[in-house]
Amino acid sequence: MEKLIQELKTKIIETLSLLDMTPEDIDADAQLVGGQTGLDSIDVLEMVMMVEKDYGVKIDNKELGMKVFASVRALAQYIHEKRTDTVH
Amino acid sequence: MNVRVFIVGMGIISPLGAGFPETLAALKKGRTGITPLSLFPTSHQEPLPVGEIGDVPHHEHLPRTHVLAKIAAQEAMRRTKEKPDAIVMGVITGGMPVTEELLMRGIYDPQRYKNHSTGSVTEYVAREVGCTGPVLTVSTACSSGTVAMKIALEMLRSGQSKCVLAGGVDALCRLTYYGFHALQLVDPAGARPLDQNRRGMTVAEGAAMFLLVAGEKPPDHAMAELLGVGLTCDAYHPAAPQPDGSGACLAMQNALSDAGVALSDIDYINLHGTGTIDNDLAEAKALHALFGVNLPFLSSTKGAFGHALAAAGAIGSAISVMSIAHQLIPANSGCEVPDPELNLHPVMVPLKAEVKTVLSNAFGFGGNNAALVMGDPEKSSSRRNVHREVTPFRILGSACLTGAGHTETTLACLYENKQIKGLMNPDAMTMHLPPRVVRRLKRLSRMVLSLALSAHKNSGSSDSPASVFFGTGWGPLSEVHDFLKKLFESDEQFSSPTDFVGSVHNAAASQVAIWFKAKGPNVTMTGEDYSFEQALMSASLLARDSDECCLLIAADEYHTVLSGLFDRSVALSDLPADGGAAFYLKPGASDHGLRFSPVFLEYTHNNPHAVRSMMNSLGGKVRIGERFGAVFAGIPKAHREKGHQQLDDFLSVTGFRGPVIDYRRWTGEFAAASAVAAFLAAHFVKEGELPSLHGHSSIGPLDGKGILLMGLGEFVTAVEVLP
Repeated sequence: MEKLIQELKTKIIETLSLLDMTPEDIDADAQLVGGQTGLDSIDVLEMVMMVEKDYGVKIDNKELGMKVFASVRALAQYIHEKRTDTVH
Repeated sequence: MNVRVFIVGMGIISPLGAGFPETLAALKKGRTGITPLSLFPTSHQEPLPVGEIGDVPHHEHLPRTHVLAKIAAQEAMRRTKEKPDAIVMGVITGGMPVTEELLMRGIYDPQRYKNHSTGSVTEYVAREVGCTGPVLTVSTACSSGTVAMKIALEMLRSGQSKCVLAGGVDALCRLTYYGFHALQLVDPAGARPLDQNRRGMTVAEGAAMFLLVAGEKPPDHAMAELLGVGLTCDAYHPAAPQPDGSGACLAMQNALSDAGVALSDIDYINLHGTGTIDNDLAEAKALHALFGVNLPFLSSTKGAFGHALAAAGAIGSAISVMSIAHQLIPANSGCEVPDPELNLHPVMVPLKAEVKTVLSNAFGFGGNNAALVMGDPEKSSSRRNVHREVTPFRILGSACLTGAGHTETTLACLYENKQIKGLMNPDAMTMHLPPRVVRRLKRLSRMVLSLALSAHKNSGSSDSPASVFFGTGWGPLSEVHDFLKKLFESDEQFSSPTDFVGSVHNAAASQVAIWFKAKGPNVTMTGEDYSFEQALMSASLLARDSDECCLLIAADEYHTVLSGLFDRSVALSDLPADGGAAFYLKPGASDHGLRFSPVFLEYTHNNPHAVRSMMNSLGGKVRIGERFGAVFAGIPKAHREKGHQQLDDFLSVTGFRGPVIDYRRWTGEFAAASAVAAFLAAHFVKEGELPSLHGHSSIGPLDGKGILLMGLGEFVTAVEVLP
């Protein structure tokens, strides 16, 4: 799980061009959207695409998205549970 | 004098049918035109519902957008032999239906992309109907159609035009089909505006065009009167509406005051009502804030038409005309149980009722809000007198960006006779902007935001701009390219919502609005090599409602794959170049700053007298000699022969003896080169002399005169920069 969390942090920085951040700057338990990272609804959708593409996990509605992207740990947990395809 | 503007012709094609009678019949029956997509194969097991038009005549190489626009224009012109003296059209997708197909198939022949630009749609219609006047293209996302109506309205009110063809068009394509899907904004069951279970919009296509004439009294064949239009910008988010609906509310308020009608005069509101959760919520709040408990009949017709993007505002205008002419309140199709949270009571089945005045909303990406008021020409309750002159501007601050770098570096290179054309490093472009602000911005948006900030800073003003006018020939090529690349590389499985939001032509202008909290009109004009001039023209028509300052920006980015395919001048050039310029402008008379005004803009197809007409509008050869110490001529490489003929014609008739600068030789070939030329012209007029310019021997004092900035080729344009 910790490995997945680390991997997600790197992918989030890359996907969302958070060029002034390093994985260490992201607290796995902190609020991911609207928090210190300043992420918004478009970023959530960009992460939805990334999660589907890289982990084969679909998040196709807003309510679910709010829950899944609460924090990096919540996202890792969700991917861990739903993952069908381990290619990444 | 009381100048009124009447609709004397109308054309519409939509998923509900082709033509006024068929559309009206469908609305009376409450029919819906939404069906699963069949136009192109998709990666979806079950294609999403769309508003697709059946039986559109297929033309080899001619994009569907162009075909739809022509059909609507021909219907609008059906009852008249008169040619419109101007065309204003709202377009988002332009030639994308053909372009994406070619890119998908790996075809890279520039000849096949000649109808790519949004401007090419308007120019095609101009050729078809024989219009040789101003031909303007607006691209403000889903408010485009209504913004086009506003520009047309002001051209008529100011007396610049007597008869204008205006409207909006968009055709279904993969970019919008997958783009809105990536944003999770598409209702898989079809749009159910205002319904408690609504889940989004339905992407659609369509076109609606209007023939508008100015007069003191309604002509015999007047169908409706265009009473007023209000434009605002949320300045809040690139895609989402401001949740409290305040920007939308202000747009409606502005439309009512522009029209000179009271709230109680409105008999029916045609909502923007896309069916997305956020739009319908924000619009409901705006309506409650404005109308209180006295809401008139209202409905969204997007459950029947779908959301035809740039055509949406024009279709809303068409419904307004039908409603007035046939005393019809169309149904809010698709809605079964109105959402109690919205507290609105939409008309559920088509009604017959007395309708004299209609309000129609259109909102778009970038927080662009537009509202329009249409009235019965015989029973108009308008109490507004309008007849206004076009405003000249004063330049309070300016900035440019070229291959050499920012303003100061560009000027330094120019004075040292060093080359300024080329490509600026994107990181250096936004050095002074926080990484968080620019992280989602690609080349064009970075350029534009950087230019806007510099021009404002150079003005030394402490106030902020109220409105933003932006011109771009080709828009955000990086975002368009990256969106399609990801889509096609994944067999249409994945696409980037960020790139989709950034792919609209007005994305950069909305970033500027967000930065400055500029809540006035936010208008993007996309007329290829003449986009800067079109943006200046729209600014002079729209910024005069107040004496507040505005930002005028024009820029184009070079893209390694797309620029050479789309822009023939770039394809012919041996050195990639891009850049742009921005101006912080104050409208109206003032003693400070250089005078800056658009004087002339005409399409030159079948228009051999364009140069002579321009000379006349500049006051004739004597006045030209008295007022201008130099001419800056913009001749795009693809139109060199035509442009040089026009220039020779100008020089031989005026006998102009001052220096003539063929400025693309030093800016390089890109659509917004004229903005850089305007920046430099303003700098030299301020300095009072021309330096020795790269490739030109001309040097010398301007003798207190100004510089005439001329655009040549497909259009002839004239902009004055005077001390």
